[in-house]
Amino acid sequence: MNYIFHILTMILLYVILGLSLNLVVGYGGMLSLCHAAFYGIGAYASALLMMDAGWSFLPSLAAAVIIAGVIAYLISVPSIRFHGDFFVLATLGFQIIIFSILNNWVAFTKGPYGISGIPRPSVWGLKIISIPAFFALSFMLTVVVWFVSGRLAKSPYGRALEAVRDSELAALALGKNVTRFRRSAFCIAGGLAAVAGVLFAVYASYIDPTSFTLDESVFILCVVIIGGAGNLRGPIIGAVILVSLPELLRLVRMPDAIAANMRQVSSRFAFSSSLVSTISKIKPPTVCANSSTPFRPFKALPAAAAASIFPSVSFTFADK
Amino acid sequence: MEQFIANGLCKGSVYALVALGFGLIYTTSGVFHLAHGAVYTTAAYSMFLASVLLQLPLLVSVGLALVTAVTLGVLVELLVYQPLDRKQASRAALLISSLGVYIVAVNLLAMFFGNETRILRSGAEATVSLGNVILTRVQLAQIAASALFVAVYWGFLRKSPLGRICRAVADDPVLASSLGVKVQATRLVVFTLGSFLAGIGAVLIALDVGIDPQIGFPVVLVAAVACIIGGLHRFIAPALGGILLGLIQSLVVWQTSAMWESAVTFTLLICFLLFRPQGLLGMRQRLEER
Repeated sequence: MNYIFHILTMILLYVILGLSLNLVVGYGGMLSLCHAAFYGIGAYASALLMMDAGWSFLPSLAAAVIIAGVIAYLISVPSIRFHGDFFVLATLGFQIIIFSILNNWVAFTKGPYGISGIPRPSVWGLKIISIPAFFALSFMLTVVVWFVSGRLAKSPYGRALEAVRDSELAALALGKNVTRFRRSAFCIAGGLAAVAGVLFAVYASYIDPTSFTLDESVFILCVVIIGGAGNLRGPIIGAVILVSLPELLRLVRMPDAIAANMRQVSSRFAFSSSLVSTISKIKPPTVCANSSTPFRPFKALPAAAAASIFPSVSFTFADK
Repeated sequence: MEQFIANGLCKGSVYALVALGFGLIYTTSGVFHLAHGAVYTTAAYSMFLASVLLQLPLLVSVGLALVTAVTLGVLVELLVYQPLDRKQASRAALLISSLGVYIVAVNLLAMFFGNETRILRSGAEATVSLGNVILTRVQLAQIAASALFVAVYWGFLRKSPLGRICRAVADDPVLASSLGVKVQATRLVVFTLGSFLAGIGAVLIALDVGIDPQIGFPVVLVAAVACIIGGLHRFIAPALGGILLGLIQSLVVWQTSAMWESAVTFTLLICFLLFRPQGLLGMRQRLEER
């Protein structure tokens, strides 16, 4: 039973990450590869605040969100000047820089040794120790994040963001401050990703930089894109599929030595290939994966197996 | 000091080769070819397969590695990029599919060969000392080979008709095709050439420090950064960027420690993107407006 709750908690973590990145990728139309950095900043900020400064859970959660939001804003200032490949490259650069800082600034973050013994959180006097309790906590926070990103997406703000995504020129002509919308979306997404980081830190009670690598950023991007970017259900579906897929593969008995790599290959294979097939929806001139388009994760997945070798095959599936 | 500069030059000359290939592919086809890393890694592994597992002679295994690299590069272009291009996919879609190809290829390699680091040479390498600099023979080969291939590459693009066609396609594919240039065939040539250069780089690094499945990605990122530092308007500029990065990384290792290597590389990237987006040898037009 604890195993089920563990999986569910992990799914919720990725739902939070997916929903937050969705603001940038889905609504903002910016392909960011540094989301794991904000996830990591959240985890480290809360862990250090709780361990070294002796803060309790809720204040350090709030502080972590603010810190990650501020850093995301600072990163967005130079990055958002670029479009397309160069935006991706710039965010990728920041991802590597932040990972490098987490990994190498040993005096502050303990580097590759990681931080262990992060205290269990207590919320309003209620100590959260068991896995189902963690699940309940993650569930509440996920609902909060879902509510926030849902309100943002449906508000005039979200519509303006979509307008900026679909046609920067038209949004400019309507007097929208394009840069400000992009920056704020990036900033909010960074802050929300920190929520998942804090949850991860107190849940695992041990963090080290290897949880926040570039691969993790790519994985979060997969969560968003497989489920369907630009709507609120997409990241949830994506998280359920991508987190439970390796666990399902675990049920297929395999010799341990091969199983580890095999699991990675097959799950990665499915991720990257359905990524390829679904990304075809996000192509200019207009980004069509908005909330009115029905999202079709299951339609994309059967085509996934062949897709990364023969993307053209999967397109004929996905386009129907 | 001299030793670190020499080491940096060796490393930089290999970066230069990979960066030239990456830059050529990027300028000509517009694909941000992250799968270049997969080409690189696969070449290194086929070198390992041939020279260590099958005990073939050195030159044969180098040849095999180059053939594998070119085959993979061309296959990726034929099976992934050209279909996507016909669908008029955005550059971001090309980039993501390129990343997908990289991830799949690397994980397949890890599945067959395992995740551990493999060493290709046996025992210590013979060294040559020049003044107060000591270099291994492989390092000398790195400098010699990249000087040779950079020269050949430059000659090819400058002097040969095919090279001129490549430059024309890079400049304006639509105009080139309206003048009767076969753009897709030219792109194949470009991918062949680029993958060949990546293969050379992979072999040279594999012989020097050994291989593991993850070696490709840092190298291709450095190549991308080298292209931006050098500038993309001149075909030879990525080589300059590559050598510069090799030197800087080596100096960083000397002054602080190896930990900050990638951080410095990418800080440099951000600085260049901000303050000199056209690169060192670039013209005034901004990169992203291409």
